[in-house]
Amino acid sequence: MKKMVSAAIRHPLFWVFVFFLFLPYILPFVGGYTYLGVEVLIWAIFALGFNLVLGYTGLPSFGHGAFFGVGAFALANMQLRLIKGMWIPLLAGVVFAAFFGALVALFVAKKRGIYFALLTIAFSQMFWFISWGWDSVTGGEDGIAGIDRLPVGIPGLFSFDTSEILHFYYFVYFLFVVCAILIWIIVHSPFGRTLQAIRFNETRAKCIGYNTAFYKWMAFTLSAAFAGLAGGLYALARNAAFSDIMHWTQSGNVLLMVLLGGGLTSFFGPILGAAVFLVLRDLFSTLTEHWYLIYGLLIMFVIVFIPEGILSFFKKEEGKRGLLVFRK
Amino acid sequence: MPSFLEFQTQLLNGFVLGLLYALIALGFMLILGVMEVINFSHGILFAWGAYFALTLRPIVGFWPALLISPIFVGFMGLILEFAVRRSYGKDPLFGLLLTFGSAMALEEVIRIIWSATGYSIAAPKFVAGPIVFGPIFYSKYRLFLAALAALLIVLTWLFLEKTPYGAVIKAGASDSEMVMALGIDLKKMRWFVFGLGSALAGIAGVIAAPLWSIKPTMGLEAIMPAFVVVVIGGVGSFWGAVIGGLMVGIVTGVSVMFMPRTSQIVMYILMAIIVLIRPRGLMGEKSILE
Repeated sequence: MKKMVSAAIRHPLFWVFVFFLFLPYILPFVGGYTYLGVEVLIWAIFALGFNLVLGYTGLPSFGHGAFFGVGAFALANMQLRLIKGMWIPLLAGVVFAAFFGALVALFVAKKRGIYFALLTIAFSQMFWFISWGWDSVTGGEDGIAGIDRLPVGIPGLFSFDTSEILHFYYFVYFLFVVCAILIWIIVHSPFGRTLQAIRFNETRAKCIGYNTAFYKWMAFTLSAAFAGLAGGLYALARNAAFSDIMHWTQSGNVLLMVLLGGGLTSFFGPILGAAVFLVLRDLFSTLTEHWYLIYGLLIMFVIVFIPEGILSFFKKEEGKRGLLVFRK
Repeated sequence: MPSFLEFQTQLLNGFVLGLLYALIALGFMLILGVMEVINFSHGILFAWGAYFALTLRPIVGFWPALLISPIFVGFMGLILEFAVRRSYGKDPLFGLLLTFGSAMALEEVIRIIWSATGYSIAAPKFVAGPIVFGPIFYSKYRLFLAALAALLIVLTWLFLEKTPYGAVIKAGASDSEMVMALGIDLKKMRWFVFGLGSALAGIAGVIAAPLWSIKPTMGLEAIMPAFVVVVIGGVGSFWGAVIGGLMVGIVTGVSVMFMPRTSQIVMYILMAIIVLIRPRGLMGEKSILE
């Protein structure tokens, strides 16, 4: 027992969890607000899941915004039409996103590189047009409003109210912890290591006897599921779901977060990237209404000068060789 | 049920749109083939072409604007290339994100200069109004556009197939190391190709301007069909892009008549079907891009 505790304390994930546990109390001192913390956690879930495809399998997907949106709309429809609650609508978000992810993955699993990117862009755009046109499910241009943050808990035992933003923060925090541990386990499992083998050399992995298309399909589906959960949480955070939620820029945002933080070199990159990105967005969008100009230039700056992401500064040697976990 | 006459008109509309899509996709594919960069900025350069036309046409007239605007856009491409060249030879992700960033920045610059409102611009006088073939009334400008787009496609083909420059570009797309070994300045060649591809986007923007509503987001409306066309036709295939463009244009045009709300989705469905049957597209060959 003692050994386990000390192992947990030495684990870097533990300190990430501690940091986010106290974040809402630090935020007001640095000019932040709790909602920003909620957003960081939601996008961190999204980006961590996305990195299964991008960082670990090496597939440049530019379409995960679609699954984020599917999660949001599935939650909205479930909660407003069928079952009032939190867990089942969130689960619906995950299941639907995973389903559509699996469907798209059928088309793209045998591809890589440029073809993969082109196809994911095109498919995500298709989802966007559908969400724009399918009024009865997505509310079309108006979106769906009136999503409630209801109490969660075990009936009869305890109940936790999430309508207040600080409470909702800890609800999201709980899910973030679960997802981060889950993804950590996935990437360190034999399955995760196979994904990395595909990233380094797909032909070699194939020759050893791995069905690489299946592994890629699985990674894509899993990451879509995490995107769906994040999308559902995002709809809860905003009490609404709009078509904008699956706009192409969202796919670019999550990609940039992973890259900016250093998702190609470290497990923690996506978390850092989500935080830095959202803080920068808040900072610049208060300064100028033309935030997209700065945003665009910022992307170009990151790609040209720090393509390996912020965390690569701290591990110059290993950074060049890809993800740390692979070397342990 | 729509009448046969209506059907003919929509078919013709689709054909014209298809030629335009093919022209946009060709410039996009030129850059994709030679530099292995998915140029997300291609759409916004198309939009810049239209905006240049919007500003220049009242001052200098249609023909000079048709010449000058693509040159401006081409120069924008040449400048952009200085950033994009940092991504050559790396994961396609980097080039994609880089041009995604520049597309965003360039779109915002449009908003700053021309504001976010939409504009429309009339067809030039000599092709204004309809043309009459028996019972059919058809817009003269659309026919003019089709002819112009077809001419540009043929000129691009002649340039690539019949000139020594074209030979170098094609060689660069299949084996850039060998091209360099033969003593050709690869850096300069790529710079030039990026400028040329951008100029093609610009000229497509100028001729599309009277049909399209000119607004900052028009770039996205042009780049998405280009993606689909290239996937359908097969990466690296010239005639694949032309056939793909026509197919996308025609299914879009015809579906406007039957199910107007779904007209923007049908091209993706077409793409999905074709990718299922022919994973490399209609005329694509196995290449380093996979």
